[in-house]
Amino acid sequence: MKVTLKDIGKKYEGREEFTLKNIDLEIEDKDFCVILGPSGCGKTTLLRMIAGLNSITEGDLLFNDKRMNKVPSKDRDIAMVFQSYALYPHMTVYDNMAFSLSMRKERKKIINDRVMEAAELLQIKEYLYSKPSDISGGQRQRVALGRAMVRNPAVFLMDEPLSNLDAKLREHMRVELVRLHKALGTTSIYVTHDQTEAMTMATKIVLMNDGKIQQAGIPDEFYNKPANIFVAKFIGSPTMNIIEGKMIKGKFVSDDELIIITPSLNDTERLLAFEGKSVSVGIRPERFESGGEFGDTFTAKIDVVEMLGKEKILHVRLKNDSELIISTPGHYIYDENEEHSFGFDVESIHFFDTETGLRIN
Amino acid sequence: MKWFKKKNKLYLSDKQPLSTLGMIGLALSYVVLIAWVIAILWPLFQMVVSAFNGKQEQYLMLNDNFEFSFEHFKYLFSETLYLTWVKNTIFIAASTAILTLTIVSFTGFAYSRYRFKGRKASLMAIMLIQTIPTFAGITAYFTMHSIIGSLAPWFSRQMMLILIYSGGGIAGNTFILKGYIDSISTELDDAARIDGCSSMQVYRLIIMPIAKPMLAIIALWSFIGPFMDYLLPRVLLTNPKSFTLAAGLFTLISDFRTLNQPAFAAGGLLTAVPIVILFIVLQKQLVSGLAQGSVKG
Repeated sequence: MKVTLKDIGKKYEGREEFTLKNIDLEIEDKDFCVILGPSGCGKTTLLRMIAGLNSITEGDLLFNDKRMNKVPSKDRDIAMVFQSYALYPHMTVYDNMAFSLSMRKERKKIINDRVMEAAELLQIKEYLYSKPSDISGGQRQRVALGRAMVRNPAVFLMDEPLSNLDAKLREHMRVELVRLHKALGTTSIYVTHDQTEAMTMATKIVLMNDGKIQQAGIPDEFYNKPANIFVAKFIGSPTMNIIEGKMIKGKFVSDDELIIITPSLNDTERLLAFEGKSVSVGIRPERFESGGEFGDTFTAKIDVVEMLGKEKILHVRLKNDSELIISTPGHYIYDENEEHSFGFDVESIHFFDTETGLRIN
Repeated sequence: MKWFKKKNKLYLSDKQPLSTLGMIGLALSYVVLIAWVIAILWPLFQMVVSAFNGKQEQYLMLNDNFEFSFEHFKYLFSETLYLTWVKNTIFIAASTAILTLTIVSFTGFAYSRYRFKGRKASLMAIMLIQTIPTFAGITAYFTMHSIIGSLAPWFSRQMMLILIYSGGGIAGNTFILKGYIDSISTELDDAARIDGCSSMQVYRLIIMPIAKPMLAIIALWSFIGPFMDYLLPRVLLTNPKSFTLAAGLFTLISDFRTLNQPAFAAGGLLTAVPIVILFIVLQKQLVSGLAQGSVKG
């Protein structure tokens, strides 16, 4: 099912400001859409509005061109997995999964078939008759998924479902969820604050901040063409380096004049309009060239080396003590307190307008 | 050898070993506690003994004469309206418990889950009203009853009593239940709503089963109340046939025409029976903590 949000806004009772405003979004059928953002950005509110748990103050919510604003949750053909799983503690796993169907007065046999099918798929057959308090966190997570699955919903909503699992299990469940999404062939909307989850699982990412959509698109765009400084800094670990400066005679000169960059040919044209204005340069840690034989270079002293195995993260300081993060392959040899010169991969530099934060190139 | 062995025993407590002063303190605490236990148990013991002592006459005498007999129980059942009183009390207690539970269920759930105008103010009002003793309203009850009684003659004084008991219970218990429901994650409500529950069903199918331990306690308290209260029935009920146990039994020690103290003891002993039965029925609920494991663990 296609989900369309048209100019949606939300204002909570007793609040001065709108929590969400002017949200426009289209989620295609069978999309795995991840709504990403720091805590308090309104992403859960948005999901709850799609679920019908929060009212929509303004704008339209369309499911396949049908307006859903006033339709109660139970009639929206959705299922939701909650952060805390929200399993009914007084019911067995089986009853938890069967609950929504029995509320719809389905026949016992159909209920049984559906629950068994879901239990089979999620491998939770052994503890169908245990209470939620008797099973582990990972198992509860599966039961919560199963409870949502048995209804064959058209839209699958998930509110940070992996945040209570340990790191290993989370990694495993990520793949499992994508597989499940493909098997069910539903539209999934997934809320998280974890960029790794977003990048690995999504077919479409929506990054939100301050109640606004910052960028919506495929994961690759987010990494390689961030729309503004916020997106650039939010996506990617370690964080992208942002250097503030000015365009002087077609060259970027940092405020402290320690870094000078000659933009690539493509970028030069776009930057013409910004001659003499404040511009920020963003560069991913892995896009520095070590050795410094290529074009513009700068020298810096290595402060801290983080050894991660496949890569080394260097925290370096320029002469005026400002810090940059550089990532190099793990087998390169760097030591603390050494001075090195680094260059840039000019093609991969992101230019932003410092005033508006928007992308230039 | 034995002494030696004892010395070598492993010290397993997590607390530091007691100093001499600590020992004395501990001994003192035990003395106080034991004295307390005696103060509570001795009268109870005397009551039980007197109830079964055939040698006791009209007045209770504390002496060594004892002869086991059911004489006082016989007196209670044949010479007094004891069974009527039991019936009355159970009727009043059960009605109070049911009425309180039903209304508190609604109010507790509403105060916990819904936001509405005057929510805070009315909660405050409920709390403040709690501070006024029930007995202070006795004149009001009298006038109210005479007005209602003239409009609806079937509205008996016992029903008035039920209203007063449950009315008093609702206020305090609303607070308790609201607090308990507050601790249940609202995500459960959300999940139930998506699964197709109406607000009533959310309460009946999800919240109520989880809040059962609390509801059991509220039921028990409201049930015990009428058994314990003497003052209101004494004032409100005029006919011995409509007396509750407390009011009825009191006639056995307050009026010289009907004075029979050992029968009073026997009646008091039997009063415990319905409460104990209810306690046994609710025991499972009273000790369980169902809300565990509903959310992440």
